[in-house]
Amino acid sequence: MAETETTQPKVAVRRKLQAGPLSRGDKWFFRGISAAANFAFVLVGLILTFLLIQAWPVLQAQGFGFIFGSTWKAEDGAKVVMQLGPMLWGSILIAITGIVLATPMAISFAYLIVFLLPKRIAKIATTLIDLLAALPSVVIGLWGLYVFTPVALHWAAILNRSLGWFPLFHVKDPSRPLTDSPFLAGWIVAVMIVPIITSVTREIFSQLDQGLINGALALGGSRFSVLRRVIIPNSAPGILGGILLGLGRAIGETVAILYVLQLSFNINWYSILEPRGGAVASWILARFGEASPAEFKGLMAAGLVLFVITLIVNSLANLIVNRSKANR
Amino acid sequence: MSVRPRVQPWAAGAFGLRIQTLISIVIPVVITALLVVSSKLDISLAVIACYFPLQLLTAALVGWRNFKRRGVKDSILLVVASFLSILVLGLLFSVLFSVIGKGFETLTPHFVYQNNIYVDNNTPLEYGGVGHAILGTLLIVLLTTVVAVPLGIAMAIYLTTSRARHLGLVRTITQALSGLPSVVSGLFILAFMSVAGLERSGVTGAMALFPLMLPTVARVAEESLKLVPADLRQAALALGAPNYRAFFQVVLPAAKSGIVTAVLLGLARVVGETAPLILTTNANNGTNVNVFSGGIASLPTYVYGYLGSGYVTSQARAWGGALVLLILVGVLFGLARIFSRTKSTNSKSKKVK
Amino acid sequence: MSNLVTASTLSAENISVWFGERQVLEDVNLVFPGNKVTALIGPSGCGKSTFLRTLNRMHELIPGAGLAGSVLLDGNDIYGPDADVVDVRINVGMVFQKPNPFPTMSIRENILSGLKLSGRKIQNADELVETSLRRASIWNEVKDRLNDQALALSGGQQQRLCIARSLAMNPKVLLMDEPCSALDPGSTRRIEETIGELSESMTIVIVTHNMQQAQRVSDQTAFFLADENIPGGVVEFGRTEDVFNNPVDTRTNDYVNGHFG
Repeated sequence: MAETETTQPKVAVRRKLQAGPLSRGDKWFFRGISAAANFAFVLVGLILTFLLIQAWPVLQAQGFGFIFGSTWKAEDGAKVVMQLGPMLWGSILIAITGIVLATPMAISFAYLIVFLLPKRIAKIATTLIDLLAALPSVVIGLWGLYVFTPVALHWAAILNRSLGWFPLFHVKDPSRPLTDSPFLAGWIVAVMIVPIITSVTREIFSQLDQGLINGALALGGSRFSVLRRVIIPNSAPGILGGILLGLGRAIGETVAILYVLQLSFNINWYSILEPRGGAVASWILARFGEASPAEFKGLMAAGLVLFVITLIVNSLANLIVNRSKANR
Repeated sequence: MSVRPRVQPWAAGAFGLRIQTLISIVIPVVITALLVVSSKLDISLAVIACYFPLQLLTAALVGWRNFKRRGVKDSILLVVASFLSILVLGLLFSVLFSVIGKGFETLTPHFVYQNNIYVDNNTPLEYGGVGHAILGTLLIVLLTTVVAVPLGIAMAIYLTTSRARHLGLVRTITQALSGLPSVVSGLFILAFMSVAGLERSGVTGAMALFPLMLPTVARVAEESLKLVPADLRQAALALGAPNYRAFFQVVLPAAKSGIVTAVLLGLARVVGETAPLILTTNANNGTNVNVFSGGIASLPTYVYGYLGSGYVTSQARAWGGALVLLILVGVLFGLARIFSRTKSTNSKSKKVK
Repeated sequence: MSNLVTASTLSAENISVWFGERQVLEDVNLVFPGNKVTALIGPSGCGKSTFLRTLNRMHELIPGAGLAGSVLLDGNDIYGPDADVVDVRINVGMVFQKPNPFPTMSIRENILSGLKLSGRKIQNADELVETSLRRASIWNEVKDRLNDQALALSGGQQQRLCIARSLAMNPKVLLMDEPCSALDPGSTRRIEETIGELSESMTIVIVTHNMQQAQRVSDQTAFFLADENIPGGVVEFGRTEDVFNNPVDTRTNDYVNGHFG
């Protein structure tokens, strides 16, 4: 005490402020909502824990081969080998195909909504694209199988005939119909992720500084140069985040593409027209009904891998999107 | 209109440009149409190989004539962006119209209320329906809602009122959860069931939908709570209100329509989920209102069950079920739109009154 | 015992304020005697609104807020260990810059909202509504439509409704944070008249950017000033006439005569 009195410039002592609850009811209120919020962590933890409990024996037995190998023999009796490689790569190949198809469509649509269409029509277009996002995947799957597949087969054949020399569009046996290809599944996935990328891009576009765009136009810039020099550079990170969100969705898609897949354990690296290649999520659902207890655990392990991948992709995507929104 | 052309001096130029644009659209269409009619060329191929390049060319010519280089680039940009956007809409309408068109043939009153007992692949469409599946879906989704909505709203309150350090992390995790693959959610509950020794029932189905609904409700509710002016909460606190009263009596009523939107969008998100229900519920052709035991049907699993069938009537049933599901989603989605609109016009309409 | 007759005295002693590590106010000492209207003036960002919020403990709602010193209401430290925040906020009412009636409530419900929100019993509701609205001089305009939505009122009426809402809690002190900045001249004049009438029964502290308003309504004036990297503080405090007509500090002179700010 004596010391503080002698030090000349009086240092103000900060008082403790009551920032939190005001009463007992308030205390319970804050406890309640913070418990609810922290439940998000609990939920992620629970998903990881329960999947891990089930998957552990398989992961232990198979090692890294579970991810990189390409044999799946889970019948009773013989030595069980469960390796997810082709399905995992199939998911990625389909997702990439979907992204490549969806991104130009989504950016164009968002560009039209934000910069070109009159407000009223833009609103209708926004509602329509949100409606597309709300369509259940089983409905998309039904459409994909019976309506879209014949159309896509037609185009796949044309693509193969004219560009078959290119490895991407090469097919071993062109006489067979080109069903069940990553190309087909990629298109269906694209239909499902176009709205995701569009809505993120639209939001990023509409948060752009309108003054900046008007300034560029006032300097004699054309629509094209404004797009290239102002709009795209300023919104690229946000769009990338939107694409990653779409990627997460595409990798996890199950029902919509199940019937247009060839779930074979023969890896298809890049021939997107080849009727070969599966996807992890669909594989889980397809095998699930007839799986033995051992294989069941293998499917759990596949689910765990899927969860970890999508969790990472989605967290990254949201981080990027949030940051590019906060920057404005 | 034509009385006051001088008010808009730029309109004269725009009019000439409009005529040119019209011509630049008509010419490729006519040429492509002639080509299709004369040579029986496949229409879709003609659109890509003939119409699209021609359209690019004519648009570029109009652009060049009026604005030189800058005009060419702009025209091409417009044509490409419009083309891709029309493709998006084409895909959407293809889905909508095929479901409505094909589903409508199946959709009869009895299809909506009958159940699926004694129906096989050869049973004519006059018998059997999705009544049991509608009921099952409603029961399962209702169960999920009862738990997910209060929890989701509580999360949203936390995200808008708390000042905890790890708030950003909570938000990121919540957002990441909204990208949870539905099949993983099903597997998670399945794993939980085998540890806890639970049988498949409506309740386990509802549990599997829960992680999918929660983040949607939380996210939309957070958006709507953010729109409530911070002033209102401050005013309530300045009157001596504890936080919970300020929230329940002032903030929540002000965000009411947004909260309703959150619930509706959450419902729309899970009502069509298929994979989790395939994993965690047993199918049932009959009506079952006991969510605690036995198989329970749901619309998405009903459609899924007939999806790959080679029989015509079974496919028709799938389309019919899909249409019912689509109508359900459409109603939820439409209601959500209406409610989110009243939110923005709230203050205006009250002022008029 | 004398404060039964006269209104309460509020005094701020050695108030310093931080937001995180940034200090925004340094060593403010002001006394607000009962039945007096005190105007706080100064350029934007000088900390006068922040200071106002320390007087009824609204300051601590801002993340990272820090405070030193004490605020005494009739000699009792409102930040003291046995002070109840709810009581403090009820005794020291606040009116905000923008009118903020509760949008989902009727006019009548808005007046009673304070009691409901702080969990008090409502007795003689009709009487309370009428006296509160009368004290805020808005009774005659709204007495026939007490059950209408509060948002149906004009901006000036909404602000007087907010004043009435605070008055319903029967506060000893009323804090006003630029209450007229969002209003037209007519509404401003009416609120200034209301302030004059209210000062007969209570203590009022008002933050204002309007020099004429400060001169019209206040008995004493405090001039706040902050500089870059220097936290805000009171440059001059005294009777309003003196501050405006014979300021001691040249900076006060410059400000009240419109040379800066």
